[in-house]
Amino acid sequence: MSATISEQAEIRSMAHELARRELSLRTAAIDSGDQDAWAECWQLLTETGLDRALLDERHGGVGLGVAELLTVVEELAIGDGGIAMSVLLCNAALATLSDEQLAGLGEGARWALVPATSGTELAISNGQLDGNIACALGCHGVDGVVLLALDRSSPATWALHANTAGLKFKRDLAQLGLRGAAAASLELQDVSAPSTDCDTVIDGASASALLYAGTAAIARGIARRAHEMAFEYAQARQQGGVAIIEHDAVSDMLTAMAVRLTCRPEMLIEASGKLRLAQSLAAKIAATDAAVATTTDAVQVFGGTGYMVETGIEKLMRDAKYCQLFPQANWLLYRELTKA
Amino acid sequence: MTTLVESQPLSERFPRLTARVDVRELERLRTRAHRFAEQHIRPRALEIDRHTDQDPAWFDWDLVRAGAQEGLLSFLIPKPAGGAGGLATQAAIVMEELCAACPGIALIFGAHALGISPLLLGGPSQWDGVLAELVASERTDSPLLMACAITEPEAGTDVEDPDLLARARITSHARRVPGGFRLSGTKRFISNGSVARWITLLMPTDPRRPVETWTCFLIDARSEGFKVARVEHKMGQRACPAAELTLDEVFVPDERVVGREGDGAPETMIVLACSRPPVGAIATGIARGAYERLQAWLAEDPAAKGLLARQHVQLALANMEEDIHLARQAYMDAATELDHVALGGAMSHPAVRALGRIPAAIRRRAPVNGWLSSPRARDATIALLHRTTTEQAVTRSLGLSSMAKARGGDVAMRVTGTALEITGLRAGPVRAELEKLWRDAKLTQIYEGTNQLNRLEIYRTLCQKETINCLPPLHNHHDGHTQQPASANGNGAQR
Repeated sequence: MSATISEQAEIRSMAHELARRELSLRTAAIDSGDQDAWAECWQLLTETGLDRALLDERHGGVGLGVAELLTVVEELAIGDGGIAMSVLLCNAALATLSDEQLAGLGEGARWALVPATSGTELAISNGQLDGNIACALGCHGVDGVVLLALDRSSPATWALHANTAGLKFKRDLAQLGLRGAAAASLELQDVSAPSTDCDTVIDGASASALLYAGTAAIARGIARRAHEMAFEYAQARQQGGVAIIEHDAVSDMLTAMAVRLTCRPEMLIEASGKLRLAQSLAAKIAATDAAVATTTDAVQVFGGTGYMVETGIEKLMRDAKYCQLFPQANWLLYRELTKA
Repeated sequence: MTTLVESQPLSERFPRLTARVDVRELERLRTRAHRFAEQHIRPRALEIDRHTDQDPAWFDWDLVRAGAQEGLLSFLIPKPAGGAGGLATQAAIVMEELCAACPGIALIFGAHALGISPLLLGGPSQWDGVLAELVASERTDSPLLMACAITEPEAGTDVEDPDLLARARITSHARRVPGGFRLSGTKRFISNGSVARWITLLMPTDPRRPVETWTCFLIDARSEGFKVARVEHKMGQRACPAAELTLDEVFVPDERVVGREGDGAPETMIVLACSRPPVGAIATGIARGAYERLQAWLAEDPAAKGLLARQHVQLALANMEEDIHLARQAYMDAATELDHVALGGAMSHPAVRALGRIPAAIRRRAPVNGWLSSPRARDATIALLHRTTTEQAVTRSLGLSSMAKARGGDVAMRVTGTALEITGLRAGPVRAELEKLWRDAKLTQIYEGTNQLNRLEIYRTLCQKETINCLPPLHNHHDGHTQQPASANGNGAQR
């Protein structure tokens, strides 16, 4: 059951405070690979139950609906896009597990949903899974993964504990963006495929839609932060004797950023609480393209200062680019959208 | 690793060039630069990027030594000073080749060239000083680098436009003292700033009148009071360090004022007209590097199977080809205009050629050298500039240079971004190369003036046909020395 309007506001406010007070303080450290900073953030998220927010209280969750989760990850992305992606992937993975599987998980177990294309990345035959999945976001150091075959008409999922025989993880050290969702490449060799369980919070199709809509929400959070930072800087920075916001070239860029923020992913949810794949795909394409444009322009507003890592604005550009490419690049989604 | 060398000759791609320069020589130059890039730059690009991500101050002198052996440090230095006498056209062609491999490493040589540029405007008076020292060092195991320092913490774009400079928040100051100046202030984002031995640096001698007193100084990095305050951690182009420099009462003798006191603003405009075509070439090289890597991946990687059959990919490749072609046309057009219309007359003037024929040993003797570095000789250099070109010609050149820079920067971002979208996150090793080029590309929209500033310059110079003060005045308002115009080159409406 969805939360009431006041509960939604409260959740949004909590996520907002967490992002501003805790995540944003550690985002630079997380980006530079500081594991302790990341662990501190994750600890705060598990304490508030946001890592498993879609689950009910029996499983340590807070029983949020999909719309509220989208709100939460958007707010968290203002603090750190990678952490928000870890929250999305953990929620999406756990929500596909059955009660029995959830009961067997340790407290604070972190899982990640791993989207893959069947055939090229993931093959199943005779009950065995084989394949290689590169740059699986949020998979470094997880307790388990849920593989999601994206390109099936009815997407299937397979839940695997990290120590499953035949499953290997290798940290992706070349990750450019969303480093708070540290990526790993997955190698599967003759992995026994557990049967997909139907008694779950969401099925494979819904997980797929959640993945796209959630990525859109995270992209929007990143773009909001970029807009805020660029706006503040444009008011403070002087050029030619006036604040640069007084220059049309700059104020128009800031206005364009605000215009791109008018699309809100949580508005995709139907009255029934259902998330449709087509709308989610469209939102993912629109929001991530908008985030790339906004963050790139934000760096431009900062000029040379924006190109320096310490400013934090260039990180938003890298994070937005990863949202555009994850789980698949937007141009590949056009075909999916046509089918949907 | 696939190596692609474009087969179409330069003479066909740039017919305007044929009438003006030795195209075969340019072709040889391009081939040499390409070979150097493939041999020395590309294999080390990712490793150096990672290294400098961990330690931004880390610097690879081996690459500088390799470049020195190839003549990349004396490339723009006039032949009488021992250099190759390269022009903007040649510099741009070399930069495209180097940047297709790694723009960060290429920028080391680009920033060095930028540092040299103000000295070139000094004419023969500069041949036997630092320029000759740079040439000599190129043949040793300790080559010397240069840098150019203009940007300040509170003034970036402002200092690259005379209108904005008048109201800029300049905090640096060169104070007149007996025998020279004492310089104080901070310069920021200076490429090669932490590794350069000599730095051409601009600051006002009267902060209340920055436009009228903006002056170029030649700084020895070993000077007392000069300090590298820090090296920035950049998003990309990391192989070339960007440093913050502080000057605390650094003494600069009169003979190290480049040009004349107060000529810095027009000198900056000429330097920008010279430096923006190579930036257009840097951006074109980045785009080409991404395009070549994408094509190789599409052709060779099993993960890309079937993608070339998709019309989306075909159209994207066609757009890239179109973008790169037009970006290259833009920088070549700007460079050709600069070399053969705006500044060509001064460089090939009979008086300059005659001085160049005097053996260096004689030129360096006290009487000749003393005259060459005298205020009268500096005035003569300015007068020669006025006789051989016009404000309108240099203004138009500046407009075309800004166009090449802005267009190139946008193309670099578009092509690298699209290449990443086509390969996606799961492309294997090429992903890291494309991601790096995408990060590198962003800087080309920012340095040498933001693209917005460059487009406003295009508006003024080419759309509005405004004439910008791009030539130092004949009348030196600081010492009252006056030269009469020697030609009837009329100036248009001045800003």
